[in-house]
Amino acid sequence: MPTMINLTINGEKIAAPEGTSVLQAARQAGIFIPTLCDYEALEPEGTCRLCIVELSGSIRPCIRVSCIQEVKEGLVVETETERIIKNRRLILELLLGRSPYCRELLDLAGKCGVMTSRFLTGEDDDCIRCGRCVRVCRDKIGAYALCWVNRGYNRKVATDFERLSEYCIGCGSCAQVCPTGAIKMEDRGNQRRIYTWGQVVARFELEKCEKCGRYFAPRKYIDWMRRKAFKPKGIELIDLICPECLRKTERPAPAKVPFGNGAFPAW
Amino acid sequence: MDVAAMDAILAKFPTIRGNLIGILHEMQSHFNYLPEEDLRYLSKKTQIPITQIYSIANFYNRFSLKPKGKNTVCVCLGTACHVKGAERVMDEIKAQLKVDVGESTDDMQFSLEEVRCIGACSLAPAVVVNEETYGQVAPKQIHGILQKFKK
Repeated sequence: MPTMINLTINGEKIAAPEGTSVLQAARQAGIFIPTLCDYEALEPEGTCRLCIVELSGSIRPCIRVSCIQEVKEGLVVETETERIIKNRRLILELLLGRSPYCRELLDLAGKCGVMTSRFLTGEDDDCIRCGRCVRVCRDKIGAYALCWVNRGYNRKVATDFERLSEYCIGCGSCAQVCPTGAIKMEDRGNQRRIYTWGQVVARFELEKCEKCGRYFAPRKYIDWMRRKAFKPKGIELIDLICPECLRKTERPAPAKVPFGNGAFPAW
Repeated sequence: MDVAAMDAILAKFPTIRGNLIGILHEMQSHFNYLPEEDLRYLSKKTQIPITQIYSIANFYNRFSLKPKGKNTVCVCLGTACHVKGAERVMDEIKAQLKVDVGESTDDMQFSLEEVRCIGACSLAPAVVVNEETYGQVAPKQIHGILQKFKK
């Protein structure tokens, strides 16, 4: 039983286990804080800045990003003060400046009452630089295919030397975790393509399922899963069978492995 | 690719962990830039993913992925220098070297770079060539300064 920490969020007394973030504590209490970069399977990085809250009580009054702020005894959190709403609108406007057509961003803007952005740059780039894709590729998959390049305003996600990646295994987790759909994965026939704003990350040829004949995964991905996810658990997969057929077969289905071990629900 | 040079650089570092930036510094001063093939070789030798090395090489201004000229000309465009007319100095250098910021001359003698404040505001406008700082530079002095470094 972890130690419980008592804090107050929007006047509500809440107890949260030690080590959780303010954002998680608020979520558990059913309090909505907008965020784009937070993903439950990934370490928080505090990049989108939308989850700002006003803190006081046991620490000096300040505005902090709630996803990387740990809960503290006696903390008083306010999520909807005038100051927060004003700053959050500003952050949304800044994000919209480069991604004016991003649907998720527009949804959030509507919720927060942002009508237009004062910072339109004329660019149309759905990537908001939250780094979910980089984090999942690095920390969860371990393929290290994506990285940050440049810095400041020119910062962007790319592969090494911005060419087709030889390290990408074609799992598509980057596309799956992207909050705005800036990274996309497309299967067409026996070809899989992972692409972003203006750069194709990787191209793969898909393998056919031996049972139903459907194209389902690149060879590299299958080998990776065998080596990283199934072998340590003592499971040997010999046939090339798609997840649907695997479920129908009589052999014991592979034990459900948590997301963090590099296994995805698709497999 | 220069395997011998790379191995000599790597031999200088007893451990790889925490020394990546040091290694990149050595490579930068040896090759004058960071060649892709050598970075890939470094990645293979050190087991550090190439994406991480690329990220770091991209992040710091000291590292260049393009071949750099023998001499680096840095023009300070900080507030004080800007007020004192660094813009005109910059234009003069651009015209004389026939390059833009971040580029190198065709004969690989000079690279031109802009910096934001080098902490020598009392000398504004300041120009740094390699390690040498020139203060209160007027556009008409540029030719003389560049001649000194030309071989």
